[in-house]
Amino acid sequence: MSSIHVEDLSIKFLIYHDRSPSLKDYVANVFKRNARSSSSDFWALRNVSFNIEAGDRVGIVGHNGAGKSTLLKALCRVYESSEGNISVVGRIAPLLEIGAGFHPEFTGRENIYLNGSILGYSKQQLKDIEPEVIAFAELEEFIDTPVKYYSTGMYMRLAFSLATAMHPDILVLDEIFAGGAFMTKAKTRMYDLIDKANIMIMVSHDHQLVSSLCNRVIWMDHGRLVRDGTPEEIIPEYLGGGAHA
Amino acid sequence: MSTRVITFFSELYDSRNVLHQLVAQQLILRYRRTVLGYLWTLINPLLMMSVMAVVFSALFKADLQTFALFLFAGMIPWNFFSSVVTQSGTAFINNEGLIKKIYIPKALFPLSIASALLIDSLFSFIALFAIIIALGGTISWALLFLPVSYALLFVFAMGFGMIMSVATVFFRDLQYVMAIAMQALFFLTPILYKPDALAGRTKWLIEINPVTPFIALFRAPLIDASLPSSDAILQATMIAVITIIVGLTFFLRQEKKVVFRL
Repeated sequence: MSSIHVEDLSIKFLIYHDRSPSLKDYVANVFKRNARSSSSDFWALRNVSFNIEAGDRVGIVGHNGAGKSTLLKALCRVYESSEGNISVVGRIAPLLEIGAGFHPEFTGRENIYLNGSILGYSKQQLKDIEPEVIAFAELEEFIDTPVKYYSTGMYMRLAFSLATAMHPDILVLDEIFAGGAFMTKAKTRMYDLIDKANIMIMVSHDHQLVSSLCNRVIWMDHGRLVRDGTPEEIIPEYLGGGAHA
Repeated sequence: MSTRVITFFSELYDSRNVLHQLVAQQLILRYRRTVLGYLWTLINPLLMMSVMAVVFSALFKADLQTFALFLFAGMIPWNFFSSVVTQSGTAFINNEGLIKKIYIPKALFPLSIASALLIDSLFSFIALFAIIIALGGTISWALLFLPVSYALLFVFAMGFGMIMSVATVFFRDLQYVMAIAMQALFFLTPILYKPDALAGRTKWLIEINPVTPFIALFRAPLIDASLPSSDAILQATMIAVITIIVGLTFFLRQEKKVVFRL
């Protein structure tokens, strides 16, 4: 059984006001005694706590800059917590960015192995899923062409097909993936993936999608968790609150 | 700390698949669509060393053949070391897109650079070895020591590489500083000359140079057909162990900040 426990999670970014600090700035700052003056702290997440158990389908809503994506990335271990703890039980699949880790000079087939291993598939698993991935992406003809010659559509199909080829315990979806910009057969594949996942967490601005796919909604605002409950409770409240803000 | 080290290594082991892919990526991509392909990895250092052998043997009034042998044996470890140190500087910077999107153990990036360079180095070693034999080098049992030389050199370079990979993210200037520093270090390392050739004021620079014993580890079996002196072996082992411990400690302390500074 998969589960996620987040306790008092805070994540801090340093914002640089003009440019990236060089050795010169660093040395200069040592003498000026106001080190780090060129940067300031920004808390993308502040004291966020929640538990997610098996069976939960969680939608995260909130305005731009609420910390939704930061939270997803923290769950996927891209960002390390500045304070607090995250513990995850189960294999988590990072579907944050489609085609991350694709290399333009590599052929489609080579990228299946490169990107697949980055996504955590074993070599044997990749061998097994390779024909299905290629068939689903409808790229049989071009699979041995470098992906830099692919059209955007071909590229997206391959990346999507590969990312959704295995069924993870915990599925983490960012906007694009959850959005409806895909062909029907991609939607079917997506819903199948969601159905089979033990836990699903998604970020979306589409309230109808959240209501239809999720049984729980977490509302974020300025890095803090505002409300946590069923879509029936939270969504109307969020939409109402949104009108005032 | 010790649990962190254990998780660090077990994560690395679990990601050996990714390491394999990253190394292949570096080896394959470099010369894709060039006519000579991977051969460039051999041609480039061979040409460079040949020119150096001709120029410096004339300058030092040494026999070309003897000097070429001497130079080649020193250049092999040096080229590996200096490439690992300079290329590790861009390990994270070049993979920014990936690091910000998907979690993979960060040590894979400097490790894949060092591994790919080790493979390059082994290939150019084979080519050079053929030349060394043709020039009159001797084959002896001492050559069996070379894998140990390579292992120690790899650990040493890797320690440096791990520090460089993280430190360059915080200070981008370091890439350029290191390019100059490595050039200076080249002349301060007994590659073009024997360790005892620099006497007088600059002598201590050679003595404290951590690369010096590693050159000896390669030169003794290749040129003198003898095992390296126990002093050189001991020094190299100590330096390698210290460097990798310092490198690993620094890396484990800082790697989590990397994503926020890219």
